[in-house]
Amino acid sequence: MTASALTRPGQRERLSEKIGELDWKLASLLAFVAGMGALMLYSIAGGSWDPWAGAHLTRFCIFFVMMLGLALIDLRVWFAAAYPIYAAALLLLLAVEAVGEVRMGARRWLDLGFTSLQPSEIMKIGVVLALARWYHGATAQEARFHWKLIVPAAMVGVPVLLVAHQPDLGTAILVAITGGSIMFMAGLSWKIIVGLGAAGLAALPPFITFVLHDYQRQRIMTFLNPEADPSGSGYHIIQAKTAIGSGGLLGKGYGLGSQSQLDFLPEKQTDFILATVGEEFGFVGTFAVLLVMGLVVASTLRIASLSHSHFGRLGAAGVIATFASYVVINGAMVMGLAPVVGVPQPLLSYGGTVMLSLMIGFGLVMGVRVHRYQELPSGRGQLI
Amino acid sequence: MSEPAIFFTDVNERQGGFLRRSFMLGGLTAVGITALVGRLAQLQVIQANRYSTLSAQNQFNFRLIPPPRGRILDRNGVVLAGNRPSFRLLVVRDETKDLDATLNYVERLLPETADRRRRLIREITQSPRFAPVPVATDLTWEQFAKINLHVTDMPGVMADMHEARFYPFSGAFAHVIGYVAKVTDRDIEKTKAAGEEPDPMLFHPGFRVGKQGIEKALDKELRGQPGGQKVEVDVKGRVVGEDVEGSRPPVPGKDVVLTLDADVQNRALEVFGEESGAAVVMDIRNGDILCMVSAPSFDANAFVGGVPSKTYKLLSEYERKPLFDKALSGTYPPGSTFKMITGLAALEAGINPKRRVTCTGSWYFGRAFRCWKAGGHGSVDLHDAIKGSCDSYFYQVALEIGPDKIATVARAFGLGQEFDIGIGGQKTGVVPDRAWKEAYFKKRQPDNPGQWKWWPGESPSYGIGQGYLNVNPLQLCVMTARLANMKKAIQPRLIKSVGGVERPSGAAAPDMPFSLERLALVRGGMAAVANDVTGTAYRNSQLGLGPIKMAGKTGTAQSRDYKPGESRGPRNAEWSKRDHAWFVAFAPYDDPRYAITVLVQHAPAGGSADAAPRARDIMKVVLLKDPELRARIEQPYPQGAEPTAPPPDAPIEEPDVFRTAAPSPADAPAPDPAQGRPT
Repeated sequence: MTASALTRPGQRERLSEKIGELDWKLASLLAFVAGMGALMLYSIAGGSWDPWAGAHLTRFCIFFVMMLGLALIDLRVWFAAAYPIYAAALLLLLAVEAVGEVRMGARRWLDLGFTSLQPSEIMKIGVVLALARWYHGATAQEARFHWKLIVPAAMVGVPVLLVAHQPDLGTAILVAITGGSIMFMAGLSWKIIVGLGAAGLAALPPFITFVLHDYQRQRIMTFLNPEADPSGSGYHIIQAKTAIGSGGLLGKGYGLGSQSQLDFLPEKQTDFILATVGEEFGFVGTFAVLLVMGLVVASTLRIASLSHSHFGRLGAAGVIATFASYVVINGAMVMGLAPVVGVPQPLLSYGGTVMLSLMIGFGLVMGVRVHRYQELPSGRGQLI
Repeated sequence: MSEPAIFFTDVNERQGGFLRRSFMLGGLTAVGITALVGRLAQLQVIQANRYSTLSAQNQFNFRLIPPPRGRILDRNGVVLAGNRPSFRLLVVRDETKDLDATLNYVERLLPETADRRRRLIREITQSPRFAPVPVATDLTWEQFAKINLHVTDMPGVMADMHEARFYPFSGAFAHVIGYVAKVTDRDIEKTKAAGEEPDPMLFHPGFRVGKQGIEKALDKELRGQPGGQKVEVDVKGRVVGEDVEGSRPPVPGKDVVLTLDADVQNRALEVFGEESGAAVVMDIRNGDILCMVSAPSFDANAFVGGVPSKTYKLLSEYERKPLFDKALSGTYPPGSTFKMITGLAALEAGINPKRRVTCTGSWYFGRAFRCWKAGGHGSVDLHDAIKGSCDSYFYQVALEIGPDKIATVARAFGLGQEFDIGIGGQKTGVVPDRAWKEAYFKKRQPDNPGQWKWWPGESPSYGIGQGYLNVNPLQLCVMTARLANMKKAIQPRLIKSVGGVERPSGAAAPDMPFSLERLALVRGGMAAVANDVTGTAYRNSQLGLGPIKMAGKTGTAQSRDYKPGESRGPRNAEWSKRDHAWFVAFAPYDDPRYAITVLVQHAPAGGSADAAPRARDIMKVVLLKDPELRARIEQPYPQGAEPTAPPPDAPIEEPDVFRTAAPSPADAPAPDPAQGRPT
């Protein structure tokens, strides 16, 4: 079972050993981002823990402990649970389609009585696990160019369509990017990538014209020309850019951002929190936050590459692909490089569900690191 | 690193592929983040100046200017609800460094704010950070000037002038017009529950919404459209300039004109004195309500700034209920004023008006039904029975024709009906018949089927306007107006016009299904009540206005059941146990124009002594304000009949309320020596 000559049999199964293997560097990077989020939330609430900063920090602490707990779970458990979790998430998505609660015009929430749930967030984890599980059992050739690729494609495509139908374009794009990155990481042939890319570009104009909702189309038009309606739909982009730009090199100072403090900036606690960072801490502060985000991606990719199991590699890679797309898409949106889609800045923005799914993901990443020597059955009766 | 390195020469092709691709993913992320950093540098380093300017421009505030609320006028243009300028002092929580210190400073300038300190702190801390909260209103010019001198020393304090709602007649219109008061959270929730976006004005400090009466019913029309003022503010929020181009003026709310007449209304409240009751006057030709008053009343102005809880408690606990609109929301047994309906119902049922009934003072049907006149009226026909208000007559005809026929006529005259007069709060009361009784008691006494049926013994009381019957004063006035009109089922109208758009007249109503002969018989009885020396209200309904005569009917209605043998003497009884006094009348008798209903709740004496003189006094004002009638009253005496000693001053008691009225032809000083001479 064990692959290293340096450990005694069973040594790696011990809890104390596992705890020692936890990646504290990654954990502290995550804590830094969440702490920065709480700091900004405290500032924009006018120097108050209410209503966001306190809840943000409390949630992060709970989820942080949960992440460490998940990291200690044997990779074989994740492996065995991969398809069931995916199936459960799919069922929940279908349930939302049938009986979901409509909030702010979109059917995204499932009321469980005690709490409400956004199944699309669970699906982000489900897609990662299921694809990693499937590619674990596939050969290199199958992953590259094979008719069997229909299976992972469907695994991604079905939930993407369901989420997009809610409509939650932001999450749908993220699920698609997550699935796509795993397929890419597993070794998808360049021919397919280029072909799909070309087809996608060709299909974009009709998609925008016929499939998108009016408000989604409006956002794209606004992005292309925000000044057309500065007090209406272009307001978000202009105000966010103004907030960031007015921050300058060193920022206006903590708690002194007039854009965010004076309520000029919309959604400042969720999607546009990076603009507050930009305004109050300037180029230096925002650069630091983006740098930490980049370090999180780099450490996770290293963890992925060190795993002995293909499932572990692809699982960690899938999680970090989601994280990286959050960072880049949100950043681009806030800085006026992309249309406004509802994508928050991971761990920085206020919002429990996104944080939960991300922290579960990082639980898997850290678990991959703790169990990096763990080998899993391939499904063909052989290990690895 | 403690881990052994992974080599690219690993035999596993999948792992090698993954590693290459993971470098690509990492690279892609790096490119993305680099792009973001590049953009960041562009925004924050290269274009920083441009965006700083933009950010400063954001300091241009768009200030909401609340529109002046529409006025409420009477039929002659007298302002019943207007706006007056008021200086006030506001505190913005976010701009104060230390709220306690600020309030201390304010207290030194305005000592009276010290009493409200705790409430003020609560209000200020609970409102949005940037919303100015009014701390003191109705400041004098001296106080306002003093504060303006000190404003620079007190961050977060500002003084401004705004328009406050003002009711010049305080009490007289309090029930009809209602009042405006602070916007509460419940108002906002209600707007949201109705699926509407709450008006941003609702969050404006000092903005008021209508809470009662016309102010509430026509709140939207009175409110108007807010204007905007684009002002430049510095970092501390102080106004440093105004952008005239970007500002737009507010659109004032629409003026509402009521059919009420301020003189009549004021006089009506005046005549009640300490008594509790209601008076309604209608123009019987078009249904215009000239007066609708409920006494005692309250000062609506006290509610605009927020009524102190002590005052409110006193008002709400006083047994004569000043806050309650007795004219619309109070229902009472009409007593003898109902006898016209019973009489008409009897005629409709085929009873000969000449039929005579002998009244001995009481009449037996299962039990003794007593007539109010102890010795009895002797032999009476319909005319005499109305004139003398003979109970025995109506006991017997009511028993004969039964409740359903009475109810049909009563409803045709508006009793038990709700009228579309534009304000809420009307209570319909009860006009009972067999179907009503069955439905009512089936619900209330399901196990007592014996009580569902209409018992013959219940009809006699119905005939004299007692029993289950309950009506409000407006309904009785409509009844009188329709009796006087003889033809049309006149609808009451309270709102004359809104924003210059006339509301439909109450005369556009269908004809009533009663023959003129029969109505004339009943009206003849009413004329005799007021003008025949043996009528119940002869003495108290003499107008003293020359040829103008009134026709009416008194009523003394039991407000509770008397125990057998209990003394009815109302004078000594406790207030809440006394009878109600009614008087319904119309004038002039020969060419009816105005109908009046007066209720004196728990009156010391009765309909003829308490209600009739009040009705007469109100009616005098009404008649004298009608230019045509005034001309008739003031017409010169026929030749050769010059008055021997014309009094130098107008002998007619002219109510001093005339002074408050806007000039109108009726008020033109025309001292005619013949004025008011009894003929």
